[in-house]
Amino acid sequence: MLAYIVRRLLFLPVVLFGITALLFALISTLGPWTRVATFIPSPDAERHVDLEAIIRKYHLDDPPLKMYLRWVKNLFRGNLGWSQSSHMTVSEAIARRFPATLELTLFAVGPVIIGGIFLGVIAAVRHNKPLDHITRILAIILWSMPDFVLGLAVLMVGFGVLGWFPPGRLSAWAQLAVLKESFVAYTGMHTIDALLNRRFDLFWDALRHLVAPVFTLACLWWAFMLRVTRSSMLEVLNQDYVQTARAKGLTERMVIQKHVLRNALIPVTTVASNMLLGLLGGVVIVETVFNYPGLGLLTATAATRLDVPCVVGVALFYAVILVVVNLVVDVLYSLIDPRVRLE
Amino acid sequence: MAIMAILRRLVKNRVSLLGLILLAFFAVVALAAPWLAPPEAGHDPYRIPRRGWALEPTPPSAEYPLGLTQGQYDIYYGLVWGTRTAFRVGIIVITCRALIGIVLGAIAAYYGGLWDEVLMRFTDIFMSFPYLIGVVVFVAIFGPGLNNVMIPLIALGWMPYARMMRGNILAVKQEEYVLAARALGVSDFKIITRHILPNAVFPVLIQASMQIGSIVVSVSALSFLGLGAPEGYADWGQMLNFARNWMLGEQGNALKYWYTVVYPGLAMVLFVLAWNLIGDAFRDIMDPRLQA
Repeated sequence: MLAYIVRRLLFLPVVLFGITALLFALISTLGPWTRVATFIPSPDAERHVDLEAIIRKYHLDDPPLKMYLRWVKNLFRGNLGWSQSSHMTVSEAIARRFPATLELTLFAVGPVIIGGIFLGVIAAVRHNKPLDHITRILAIILWSMPDFVLGLAVLMVGFGVLGWFPPGRLSAWAQLAVLKESFVAYTGMHTIDALLNRRFDLFWDALRHLVAPVFTLACLWWAFMLRVTRSSMLEVLNQDYVQTARAKGLTERMVIQKHVLRNALIPVTTVASNMLLGLLGGVVIVETVFNYPGLGLLTATAATRLDVPCVVGVALFYAVILVVVNLVVDVLYSLIDPRVRLE
Repeated sequence: MAIMAILRRLVKNRVSLLGLILLAFFAVVALAAPWLAPPEAGHDPYRIPRRGWALEPTPPSAEYPLGLTQGQYDIYYGLVWGTRTAFRVGIIVITCRALIGIVLGAIAAYYGGLWDEVLMRFTDIFMSFPYLIGVVVFVAIFGPGLNNVMIPLIALGWMPYARMMRGNILAVKQEEYVLAARALGVSDFKIITRHILPNAVFPVLIQASMQIGSIVVSVSALSFLGLGAPEGYADWGQMLNFARNWMLGEQGNALKYWYTVVYPGLAMVLFVLAWNLIGDAFRDIMDPRLQA
């Protein structure tokens, strides 16, 4: 067990080195001004003042290896460069946008996991019965639905026709209210902050804006969770120990709950953690469709304006989350399922 | 032989048959594009012709059966030639991914030891790179365009095939005919190309081809964000990007511009659905545990 964790931990720096080296190589192909912005977290890069002076000031003519080491050192200090599309340092931009994505993720995760597992279990228990076929067809149609097509459809109906679920994160009046000094931003997540400030009108407004993106995400991931849960359940249902449990005279409900579900959910946890990562990484498309100002929209806007430092900063931020969460999940996984450790 | 047997089972299954029919339809449209939507003489056929200069979309008419989207781009023409773009992009990306994966996986598995360790760690590093964001980084650095979307999609997508290839070879390597060939002194190159590859490659290629649908979605998603195909290029994702500004219709008539999103959206969904229907049935065929 310990050996497994140590092996994974030892690999962590290798991965981070690989990612940073790759990005550094890509950045090195850029023109001087973009490079300045990538390495220097100040508006200097945007003002296009004296290039020579800046290069001298920040030692940007050093040999590549020295540059790389200094860049990595700066990354550890949270210095990710200057974002020209949002007119602030990249770390500041990420810090401002991340709570929005986190909020969206938190609201999406619960319904997706619970709903997906529930539907998958039903489909598997009724294997090859009408209900199984219906959920299966539904899942495959939803799974074939590109996120931007579904998102546009939801926006069209939810806002265009019904007028219930507007795009954006807050209405104009609510945005002003949030910026007032009497409103304390504890977490940056509007729903939670509104509750903590006892502003239920704000809470309601923030919630209304979350419904459409959460619904879109949920539809897409339900289909996926359903399929994984279903096939995993079917596999376990064929095992001998399930037969044994039935032969012992346990009720079907008992067999499903105690013997099948617990084993079937092991692969589902991996999928759930992947989903969490995907969502946290800024659901680029969904945030763009609904004009929801999170990490994803930040990345998309930065990319269309060729704001390299910002995109690279988000990529690094996300890569670190990805690596760390993956590590935690793998370790937890080996705790849940002893078979993993033996590989 | 195996291919024919699998094809026969795919045709027998009603669900995958539907997928095959849909796919055949798209293939016919792609091949017959010059006749279905004849390009104007002297123009690049992949550029959607504009039937005017007004920004506001024009509803379907006898002359333009599916209507004109933002900027008066002909929706029908865009969909027909977009089918070609979809196939081309999907096939190029998948072929390159599979090739890289097959070569690296083959080297790792066949030589083993240090080679295996280094290549697999290399694979792990690429695996821990955020996929979509990686593509966006590349596009931000090298500029938008269809090629600049396809390159990172290949670079960040070969890993599963390398792993799968490695696993297959490790299994095949133990087969007696390979041991026999080695005992006879056949060269490494010949053993790999003649004995191991044919028996390990086939499943990888099948798996890879099932991903064409999702590749087309990824590329279209980037075009939708304005990072893929240049404006006016026949690409479904871009046509949906055009539709974005007209989604909400106008006061009292929210669905006024429905045709800008429904037709490209339908093409997209049906194309992906076709691949998924086949892929789903295929998984069941290949998985002996689900036979019972």
